[in-house]
Amino acid sequence: MLLLSLLLPLSANASAPEPVTTALAPATRALIVSLGQPAPARTAFAEARFLRVLDRPLVISGELAWLGGDQLQRRVDKPRLETASIADGEVTVQRVGKRARHFSLHRAPQLQVLLDSFVGLLSGDPARLVQAFTIQRSGTAAQWTLSLVPRDEAVAGSVVGIEVDGVGKRSRCMRIRQANGDLAVDLLGSLAAKMPLTPTRESLKALCQGGP
Amino acid sequence: MRGSGRAALLTVWLLVLAGLGLFVVQRLQVSTDLRSFMPAPTTPDQRLLMEQVGDGPGSRLLLLAIRQSGTAATLDDVAQSDARLATLSKRLAEKLQHDHRYSQVLNGSFALGALDPSLLPYRYLLSPTLDTQPMDEAYLADQLQQRLEDLSSPAAGMLEGLLPRDPTLEVLKLAERWAPARSPQVRDGVWFSKQHEALLLVQTVAPGFDPSGQQQAIEGIRHAFQALPGSAGATLEFSGPGYFSVLVAAQTRYQADWIGRISTLGFITLLLLAYRSVSSLLLSALPIASAALAGIAALTLVFPAVHGITLAFGFTLLGVAQEYPIRVLSHRRAGEDAVRSVRALWPLLLTAIASTCIAYLAFYASGVNGLKQLAAFTIVGLLVAGFSTRYLLVRLLPVRVRDVADMPWLVRARGIVDRLPRPRWIPLLVALAIMAMLALAPGPFWQNDLAALTPISPQLLQRDARLREALGAPDVRYLLMLQAPTAQGVLALSEQLQPQVDRLIARHAVDALELPSRYLPSVAVQEARQRKLPNRATLQRDLAKASQGLPFRPGLFQPFVNDVETARQLPPLTPQRYAQTPLGQRLAAMLVHRDGHWLGLGTVSGVHDLAALQALGRDRGGTMRLLDLKAASESLVAAYRTRILQALLVATALLVLTITFALRSLRRAWHVLAPMTLATFLVLAVERMVGIEISLFHLIALILAGGLGLHYALFFERDTGDPAEQRRTLHATLVCVLSALLVFGMLGWASIPVLRAIGLTVSLGVAFHFCLSILMAPHAHASKD
Repeated sequence: MLLLSLLLPLSANASAPEPVTTALAPATRALIVSLGQPAPARTAFAEARFLRVLDRPLVISGELAWLGGDQLQRRVDKPRLETASIADGEVTVQRVGKRARHFSLHRAPQLQVLLDSFVGLLSGDPARLVQAFTIQRSGTAAQWTLSLVPRDEAVAGSVVGIEVDGVGKRSRCMRIRQANGDLAVDLLGSLAAKMPLTPTRESLKALCQGGP
Repeated sequence: MRGSGRAALLTVWLLVLAGLGLFVVQRLQVSTDLRSFMPAPTTPDQRLLMEQVGDGPGSRLLLLAIRQSGTAATLDDVAQSDARLATLSKRLAEKLQHDHRYSQVLNGSFALGALDPSLLPYRYLLSPTLDTQPMDEAYLADQLQQRLEDLSSPAAGMLEGLLPRDPTLEVLKLAERWAPARSPQVRDGVWFSKQHEALLLVQTVAPGFDPSGQQQAIEGIRHAFQALPGSAGATLEFSGPGYFSVLVAAQTRYQADWIGRISTLGFITLLLLAYRSVSSLLLSALPIASAALAGIAALTLVFPAVHGITLAFGFTLLGVAQEYPIRVLSHRRAGEDAVRSVRALWPLLLTAIASTCIAYLAFYASGVNGLKQLAAFTIVGLLVAGFSTRYLLVRLLPVRVRDVADMPWLVRARGIVDRLPRPRWIPLLVALAIMAMLALAPGPFWQNDLAALTPISPQLLQRDARLREALGAPDVRYLLMLQAPTAQGVLALSEQLQPQVDRLIARHAVDALELPSRYLPSVAVQEARQRKLPNRATLQRDLAKASQGLPFRPGLFQPFVNDVETARQLPPLTPQRYAQTPLGQRLAAMLVHRDGHWLGLGTVSGVHDLAALQALGRDRGGTMRLLDLKAASESLVAAYRTRILQALLVATALLVLTITFALRSLRRAWHVLAPMTLATFLVLAVERMVGIEISLFHLIALILAGGLGLHYALFFERDTGDPAEQRRTLHATLVCVLSALLVFGMLGWASIPVLRAIGLTVSLGVAFHFCLSILMAPHAHASKD
């Protein structure tokens, strides 16, 4: 009881574990469980960022790796080598020829969301996902979309939602929508190779939700 | 008739006291600046020390630690509690940032707010970027390319809002420049210690040695913290000079209060036992009350503000005055009018009063404002107490009294005293013992370190050292002083010095050395940077070329172009203009105007190579030197002591003259002064023997005890040849000794070193003075004759 009263007023990271798992539809639950993989799990990715400050999207590609627990590594190969690691709530960014930079995960809500969703999906852990997001599923068992909306207010102030598109037991695509209108689309696995040279929001959406 | 006359006198006296009380209440201004109790500085270093102790940047720094209450059981708990503490730290900093009581609040979070928004265009004049790097096409192209990379990195969210106005991230460079040189580790975005405490640094506007200002600052922080949601599960701890001064003030008041209460009760009981008369007791309080009120009234007339410590210690010292009514009460004879009893006593009493006042003159000569006040208060008080006892009290005392001389126990006691052997070699033996003890005593004789007198517990001091180390907060010991005729001169000097300082830091001679120009470059440097800023057309052209082929939206950097244009036309930032912002306050503490010139204060932390640091000041024609605050304070204390000792010598000479003149006999003067002198040195020897190092407060206490001892010796020496009168003398002296032992013995139990020093010294002194006065009294033989 005491512990609970301590936790309740705090929103930042420690949203109290509400018993919401039951609210998850059995099919959605089953889907999330079926996505689980043993750590470490690696996948190629290609990301297109549509930013307000730019008049055309930024495209990067590399490899995402879940190392187990809350450890995530994002290696960018193109256009320039950069490795970002998340461990213990801290982000470390390492670029070739530069000193590593460290900052708190709280300062990069985008990464927090990526960590929560990615780790939740790869570990096939509905409880973990439900803790961080309200979840809705659409589409069919063969081709589905999970809509994740962050529960944490601080995070939601910057990231409005994530759509994860998948086919069968594989996620193929993550679309991270930001409050300021920015959008990041990550193509995962084999789809990563299909990133167009000049992507548009529409073409990527079609790619993500297109057939296998 | 007599009865009505007494009633009238009593009424008038009480009315006068009430009037005095009213006057005092209206006029009295109590100050709390502890510095008025520090010795007056004589050298420039000492003067600076006094200023720094109160006003310097180091003394205004509060170190804060937010800890989880209780202990975390698992690693997971630790991580969760860290996150909670980090949130508390951030919210607390946000609240304090907008409070005028604090000039700087740092908690390790990204200090984007470090520069006041109205000063934002000044970033190009404050940041050193332009010194080495023109803002041309190549530079802009490189910067834009880097920003593009940043946008694809995970940190992009932090950058996007900043980009249009500040594509070269000048604000971040400034934030980095102004962060403490050695920051603690950052977890969840804020500073953390290894013990999982969130750390904050708060610089107060109130000086460190202003306990009431610091109290307000600390209360403000505490309030802000308690109002935060979730603060119930966490503990906020303070450290730093300001916190300590609040702690010491509160502790001193508390202890003085309860000691005062207990000793007052004991004192009343003692007097009731001694004289068995409530009315005598109540009436004998009148001279003391008059003394206290007259003393304060005199202070309010002479000094603009009276120090709280003067009042506290003053009342203690006035305890001597209680002796006057006691003497009168003990020396009354059955059936004799008190007015007649006092006539026989008065010459001696007057000698006692005069000699005590002379001893207190030594305080006045010390040159310390607080001690001067103390002397004025006590001397006025003693005179008022003495004369009101002589001329007012005796007319009020009841006519019928018990003669104490007939008490059986007193007759026996006097018999024992008279039978005591009084060999002539006693003074010689005591003198030899004193010399032997002084010679054999362990450790240094004088205590020069003021810090040794701090009542702060070692645990708190250790915590302070730990937090200071973790936060990279500057040592309070060393300051690098830069001197120039103008503030700009100091800033220029500071800029010249910077490369040398950087080399020292690179060589690990010091961990960090923060110079004033770190916060504000000189006008010359700002103007030089201003001249390097491109005009609008050039900048727009270079920017267009630099962003060719890059995906930045057209017109995105218009706010940047506007800011650069504004910066080109700004009047350079001066300390005066800067002072209106929080960071300017930070600078103001490092740049002070004094005696027609300006001083810059560089704060130093982690000194590893003192010689290298001192060498920095050499060959600079006195414009720069390293100030060792500890050495300065020790020299200050030593100089102070020399002055007190000199004043004591003068007081001693005056005392010998007064006593000799009053007694009209060198031999009799010797019988009074010899036991007093021996007892004083005996106290010194015994304290040295048990390992006590003698501080200023021991000296002051010795003077006080000497004053008391003088009274004992004077009265024991009085040659009346009347055994009953000798019994009365013994009775009065016993009551005086017991009451002094009671009051000062209680003070000896205090945990505050200053109070303990005074209590112990006076108690020992009173005991030695009493014993030696009896053993060396001359008329034991006379009474047997």
